[in-house]
Amino acid sequence: MTEQDYTTVENSADALSHYPGIPRLRLATAYIPPQVFRDMFPLSEALNKGTLFPELYRPYRRYPMKGEV
Amino acid sequence: MDRSRVSMLRELQELEFALVELNLYLDTHPDDDKALSTFNNLATHLAKAKKNYEARYGPLINFGHSGPVSSWNWIEDPWPWEIEY
Repeated sequence: MTEQDYTTVENSADALSHYPGIPRLRLATAYIPPQVFRDMFPLSEALNKGTLFPELYRPYRRYPMKGEV
Repeated sequence: MDRSRVSMLRELQELEFALVELNLYLDTHPDDDKALSTFNNLATHLAKAKKNYEARYGPLINFGHSGPVSSWNWIEDPWPWEIEY
């Protein structure tokens, strides 16, 4: 069995004419980096923030409403 | 309701939240020894905190957790929605 040829020059025209079973281009691949357990928020802070893990804390920024100063 | 009761309930909530967080982490990282030992420490801590709370204020859940009761204290006030945090 031969290796599939993924070295074909990639351009948008090729991408548009991609058909399953015709291995010309790689499809997009998503990656998720794994979480690594290091620190914890103090427990009272964790309950307020909604996560125990500092690396997962991503509060929404509050944007002013229209007309608000 | 007295302050120490509220703060004990708050501590239970904090511990349970932290344990759920570690529970979810361990679901995807079952071999993380540090997380596992933190989970075990907090779980022990939670069990003690529940016991202390129940000794002073009565049962947290209706059955399956606390020991036998001599009088039916499940219906004693306050109900959960009456607690002011």
